[in-house]
Formats: sequence, structure tokens, C-alpha cells
Amino acid sequence: MLSIENLRVVYHDVISVLNGISLGVKDGEVLIIIGANGAGKTTLLRSISGMIEFYDGDIIEGDVKMDGTSIKGLDATDIMKRFDLTYVMEDRPVFWYLTIEENLGAASFSRWDKRVKADMEEVFGYFPVLRSMKGKRAGYASGGEQQMLAIGMALMTKPKILLLDEPSLGLAPLITEELFSIISQLNQTGITIMLVEQNAHAALGIGTRGYVVEMGRIVLDGTAQELLENEDVREFYLGSGKKERKSYKDAKRYKRRKRWL
Amino acid sequence: MIDLIQTLGSGILVGLVYALLGLCIVIIFKASEAFNFAIGEFLILGSFLFYVLFFNETLPWHRALPLGVLIFLFFSYVFFFDIRARFVIAIPSGLVAGFLIFCVLFFGLNLSSLVSSSLLRFIIALPMGLLAAGFVGSMVERITIKPLLGRSPISMTIITLGLGFFLRGCIQLIWGSHAYPFFLDLPDITMEMGDFLFLSDPIWAGILSLLTFGLVIVFLFRSRWGLAIRATSEDQAKAMAFGINSRFILLIVWAISALCIAVAGIMISNFGALQVGMGYVGLRAIPVVLIGGMDSIGGALIGGIIVGVCESLAGTYIEPMGLIGFKDVAPYILLLIVLFIRPYGLFGTVRIERV
Ligand SMILES: Nc1ncnc2c1ncn2[C@@H]1O[C@H](COP(=O)(O)OP(=O)(O)O)[C@@H](O)[C@H]1O
Ligand SMILES: [Mg+2]
Repeated sequence: MLSIENLRVVYHDVISVLNGISLGVKDGEVLIIIGANGAGKTTLLRSISGMIEFYDGDIIEGDVKMDGTSIKGLDATDIMKRFDLTYVMEDRPVFWYLTIEENLGAASFSRWDKRVKADMEEVFGYFPVLRSMKGKRAGYASGGEQQMLAIGMALMTKPKILLLDEPSLGLAPLITEELFSIISQLNQTGITIMLVEQNAHAALGIGTRGYVVEMGRIVLDGTAQELLENEDVREFYLGSGKKERKSYKDAKRYKRRKRWL
Repeated sequence: MIDLIQTLGSGILVGLVYALLGLCIVIIFKASEAFNFAIGEFLILGSFLFYVLFFNETLPWHRALPLGVLIFLFFSYVFFFDIRARFVIAIPSGLVAGFLIFCVLFFGLNLSSLVSSSLLRFIIALPMGLLAAGFVGSMVERITIKPLLGRSPISMTIITLGLGFFLRGCIQLIWGSHAYPFFLDLPDITMEMGDFLFLSDPIWAGILSLLTFGLVIVFLFRSRWGLAIRATSEDQAKAMAFGINSRFILLIVWAISALCIAVAGIMISNFGALQVGMGYVGLRAIPVVLIGGMDSIGGALIGGIIVGVCESLAGTYIEPMGLIGFKDVAPYILLLIVLFIRPYGLFGTVRIERV
């Protein structure tokens, strides 16, 4: 349903982050994107969701299509409303000074109608812990609760496709597991999911297919099973080996270039 | 003792007007992290817009026409790009709005011949004037602030400084710099109890300011749009990602702010006369918000009252000692003391710190 064609993205007109990425998301699947820090995963999601402009980034080449229609250059809110694509930003994008309930309400702003209350109940059904603290400010919730809230907020927008940016970041393994099981539950209700993760093992466990991104390029793709068994993936993302050092060197070189600019 | 109570009372009444000014600064600061230094100019402009409607002031065509055209362009722009109406709807609605504005400015509204009661006239002219002020506020936001969205708040703040000078120039060009007599002729509600005397105008000013303040708060905390404004104020990117059009929200915030400033402006003009030089009163908002806390709405109310009382105390007790003009300095001295003790103001937000 979503296809990305040879996407090149730069920040501030000079910092090239994505260097020609092509990939496709099929209806109803859980697509996993894995890659090291700074590989450009977040930038990829920003480009798809239309948020890139807000960060002073530009798509200088390539196209993003939803069911054949180009969504490149549209406003984030337009993309969300017209194509039912919701992007859950990294680092738990909840409004700290609003209560849990208000957070959910704010997320349903674009489609406020009589069903909002019912949808809220549905979200509480997925995340019962939120119900018990709905009058509490989100800033005081724990990391796991905030991430659940963020996903709950995304559900309030009634998405057909959900882009999740490192939902497991900074969460305890047990909570990550719970979160991922809910994500795969959501997938079963018909929501297509594109999941960006560094926690490759857990993510590939619930994924159907996956891509590996490095330095703004796709270096590997395959089914989740294939990636889990792949020698390189195992060394880079699932364990540590000799190649870890090599990738570290790459990262360093990249940082140097950034500073020089 | 009677002196003191009298002084405190008038201080509080004026303070409520200042509180409203403070609120206008605070909501913009919360939404875009910029300080609106053009508040004084917004204040005069809002008052003039009301003046035009209420006192049936007309402008020569070479002044009214450019304003009409400006309104036309702006309306079409907003309809087209923000409300996303189609071209065939956007242009005509812009034309209608521009033409209406031109007519009002050129021919005058002539409310006084339609409605004889001045209170009724006030009730009709006020919303229209405020609406006009709101539109100017949103127009200003579109032209100067929106292009800076996502940039540093400092650049927005600097822009408002320049904007202030620009608006002042425009006002001077349109209405000149002489004083316009401004007398609302609201029902006399002077309170005279024993030795106390509270004049009608300050009471009206206090009541209407408080009412406006309350309405804004209800809007912010009880409505869906208010929720969207609060969400956007916290984080524009997050709001955008969840389908709240931050840019349109910012426009609304500026409109509300300009509208409230106009209320304060009208009340202040009603104390005397209206003229361009009056803009400095708007800067009273600076000690108000710095004392109350830049991002605290309740702080604006308390800060406003503190500044009002402080000013009026200085006027009653210190100025007679020969320190003429101390009244205008006193709030700033108080401000220094407060900032020395509490650098974030009295009610600056307690940041949520996670451990
Ligand atoms: N707003 C920005 N301006 C400039 N450079 C940025 C910006 N956002 C990200 N980058 C750079 O782009 C690179 C990719 O970042 P990102 O997409 O966040 O990677 P990932 O999510 O894979 O960790 C990083 O090196 C980062 O420094
Ligand atoms: Mg990232």
C-alpha cells in the first residue's frame, strides 16, 4: 500500500541523510526496519509522514506513494487525514502537561465526533493501565505507560497504517515484550504496521518482512525469518563480533563529516 | 485606612486590565515561545478598530481602499491555504470580506443613527471591533510569524519588535497622531459607599477584563479547540504528528491574543483619549508576566493585580512626596525584587522532571 521510490533526503540543504531508499509496505503486514543509530530510520519515517519539512529537511529526489498516489510534499495533517497514516514519533510523543484522557482527546482532534468516547474505551481495553490513571498528567507516567499512551493516541486517529519509531527505546525487556504483543494484536485487527527498531531480535519476532538500513541506504532485505538467520544481521544487530568494530568506525567517520560541515 | 482601601480597590481594578494584557503575552509565549513586543501597537490598533465602528469614524478612499484590498488578499489566502476551500469559494469570500471592510471604513457604520442607546451600540460594536482585531492578529501571524515556524523563538521575538514599529507607522499613516476623544458612555455604575468612591469607568474596565479573562480560560480548558491549543503549546511537532494543524492553531492563538488586547485597549482608552502615543501602556504586560511567570495563566492574573496595586500604592503614597512619575517605575522595581527571589516568576511552571 505504501511504496517509497529512490528517496533522497537532506537536512538544511546540505546534510544528506537518505541516499536513495526504495521499499514497499504491503497491506496488512508488519514491516521491520532495523539499523544503527544515525542510519536515517527516523528521517525515513519523517519523510513518509510529511513531518520532514518541520525539521528543515527536503526530499530532493524520489517519491512516496500511498496506493499509487504521491503524498510527497503534503502537510503532515493532510497525509494523516486523507490517507489514514499515523506516525508515532520516537521518544514517546505524549503531551506531558496534559492528562492521559486529554492526551487521547487531543489526538482525536482531527476527527472529533460522537464515537470518540467509545474509541477511548477501546484504547483502554488494549491498555488497561491507562484507564486507572486517566486523570493523571502524562509527564508523571512511567516510560512504558507513556509509550502505551502514544500508541493509544495513534489509535485515536483511526489509522490504516501505523509508523512506529523505536517504541521499545529505554523500556524494560518485559514491557517491550508486552508492547510488541499488543502491536501484533493491532496488526491482526487490520492495521498495517511499519516498525523501526534497534531491538532487532524482538522486532523481527513479530515482523513479516524486514529491511536493514545503513548510512541512508538499504543494505539487506528479506523475510523476518531470513533476517534472523542472516550472518551479517546476527553479527551487527543481534550479537557482537568483529564487524561491530567496523560499523563503529563508519559511524565515527560520519560524525566527523557532520562536524566539518 | 480609608485611603488605603480606596487605593487598593482602584489598584485591583486597573490590575485586572493589566492581567488581561499579561494573559495575551502568556498564551502567545506558550504557543510559540516568542514574546510579543508589538503588544502596545496591537492595543492601539484594536482600540482604533473599535473606534471606527463605535464612533462612526470614516476614512478617505485612498486610505480605506488599500485596507480593503489587504483584507481581500488575506481572506482569500486563509480560505485557500488553511481552510482549504476551493478557489471559486476562496476568492469570492475574500472579495466580500474586503468589500465589507472597505464600505465600513469609507462610508462608516453609522451605528448611532440605527441604535440610540449607547449601551446597545457598545454591545454591537464591541464584538465587531474585537473580531476585526482578531483578524488583524491572525493576519500578522500569517505574514510574520508563520514563516518562522520551527525556527528559534528569538527570531520571532525580534520580528515582533520590528512589527511593532511597522504597525505604529501604519496607524499613524491611517489615523494620524492626534488624540481622539473616547467616551463610551456606559451606564454609570459608580460605587459610592460612605467615604469610598469607585468611579464607573474603572469598574467597567475591571469587570469586562475579568470577564474576557474568564472566557479565554473556559475556552482553553473546556473546549476541544482549547485542548488542541494546549497540546500545540506544549509541542508543535507532536501535535502535528497527531493530526492537529499547528499552524492554524498558532493563527487562532494570535487572533485570540489580539482580540483580548483590544478589550484591554478599549478599556484603557476609555480612561482618557485614544492616540498612537498610548502604546506604551501595553508594555505594562512585561512586569506582569515576569512577576507572574512567563508561562502561567494564573500567574498573569496575580501578576496583573500585583502590578496594578503596586502602581496605585506608589501613586497615592510615594508620588506626593515629590517623586512625580514614580508610579510608572514602581512595578519595575517590584519586578527586580521578585526576580531576585524567584527567577522564573512567582508561578513559573514546575517542570516535570523524570527520574
Ligand atoms: N533536524 C536535523 N537536522 C540535521 N541533521 C539531522 C536532523 N535530524 C537528524 N539528523 C541527522 O541525520 C542522521 C540520521 O538521523 P536519524 O534519521 O534520526 O537516524 P536514526 O533514527 O536511524 O537514529 C543523524 O546523523 C542525525 O544527526
Ligand atoms: Mg531514530
